[in-house]
Amino acid sequence: MTEHVAAPPVEFRGVDFAFDAGAPLLADFTLTLPAGRVTALVGESGCGKSTVLRLAAGLLKPTTGSIAAGDPSDRAFVFQSANLLPWRTVARNVALPLELRGRGDPARVDAALTAVGLDDVRDHLPYQLSGGMQMRASLARALVTRPGLLALDEPFSALDALTRRRLHAVFSSAWASATVLLVTHDIDEAVLLADQVVVLSGRPLRASEPVVVRRSEDGDPRYSPEVGRQVRAIEALL
Amino acid sequence: MSRGAPGWAVWIAAAIGLAAWSGLAARVPPVLLPSPLEVAVSMWEHAAVLAQATAITGAGALGGLAVATILGVAGGIAFLWSRTLERALLPYALLVQTVPIVAIAPLLVIWLGYGVPVAAAAAAIAAFFPLLTATHVGLSSAPPARVELLRLYGATWSQELIKLRIPGALPHFFAGLRTAGGLAVIGAIVGEFVGSNGAPPSLGNLVLRSARSADTPQTFAAIGCAAAMAIGFYGLIRAVEWRSIGRWFARS
Repeated sequence: MTEHVAAPPVEFRGVDFAFDAGAPLLADFTLTLPAGRVTALVGESGCGKSTVLRLAAGLLKPTTGSIAAGDPSDRAFVFQSANLLPWRTVARNVALPLELRGRGDPARVDAALTAVGLDDVRDHLPYQLSGGMQMRASLARALVTRPGLLALDEPFSALDALTRRRLHAVFSSAWASATVLLVTHDIDEAVLLADQVVVLSGRPLRASEPVVVRRSEDGDPRYSPEVGRQVRAIEALL
Repeated sequence: MSRGAPGWAVWIAAAIGLAAWSGLAARVPPVLLPSPLEVAVSMWEHAAVLAQATAITGAGALGGLAVATILGVAGGIAFLWSRTLERALLPYALLVQTVPIVAIAPLLVIWLGYGVPVAAAAAAIAAFFPLLTATHVGLSSAPPARVELLRLYGATWSQELIKLRIPGALPHFFAGLRTAGGLAVIGAIVGEFVGSNGAPPSLGNLVLRSARSADTPQTFAAIGCAAAMAIGFYGLIRAVEWRSIGRWFARS
């Protein structure tokens, strides 16, 4: 459903960043991610991977250096919590980004709801939804602007294993040809969903060379021995 | 709040309260503590004047509450808009909060003359501060992730205010309004102690006059009317609150 003009590449060039009066989190940080692919950013909790994601999405500004990630109005972000407005129905939550830009478009809202399978509950309030459904609504809200860059900050971490498995399929079919940045601390999830995995570690933070995920098209990649080898290779980088 | 609690609890508590009151009243002279029956008889005898006084005091309290709500909400939004403004004006707000109403009521009479405006002004002064702080805290307490979400889509300050901060502030606002409703009744009555000459009658004036003439049952009757009014305000605010935000707030 994401028929965007062009998915942009993401490029960090010599980026420095620190939170107020803190030690530098990034110093001369460089990272290039290809357009239209799914890149998983993996690292231990608290390592700063969410900061890298927020910088790419433009939610944080680098102290020095430059970050190219396409047009700011062409980005979407899925937060760790569903982050829905509790007083708005599902459909009105999904419509919010269009509304803020003064371009309401019911057809797009419908398409986004269909893409995540939430047509039935469009008039429900968030509290009436399960955690997994709230997360799907959050994805629909991100997809409604048809973004070229989709940033996801551990969107599955608060869900139970079964719901997470179902959502993996929903997400990977919905993000189509956008440039996707997925932050996760789950290496299996990274290998399952991403085209390539970048490991972030150290302080100041360093990015590993991307590990390109190879998988056969047939069958569930979770059960291929190749995936197990790749998971171990990425673990070795941590 | 007490949703789901059995309805009879309030009647049992009322019965125990009335029994204790009657028991105590039987042991002391009626001028100190009239029995519930004596108060009821006094209410019946002075029904017309009590109703009129309640309406007058109610007008003062409601008028003051309305003014305080407008000023409190405007102040809360102004404080959100500018930290400098907050720094500069908060001392004035605290001053209004801490000056005893009894002390400024005579000034209000000089400025406004006798009558409802004094009660309304006193009610507004009493009710203003909780509304200001509740609105300000409510507007400031939008979760950072929601603020980030709106900024990601380039929301303007007023979009952020209208689509995120104001709806999110409603639970705080209503909590402040419930407190302010009771304070407005107290403020109006204290204003009337000084600023009402009894024509038309007001609850504040009735309390003062009946206590001076040792007509304790009437004092109790007037206090009862004031309490009933405050409870009525509370119930009304609760009902509006439940209708407007209960559906999402109670469960999120």
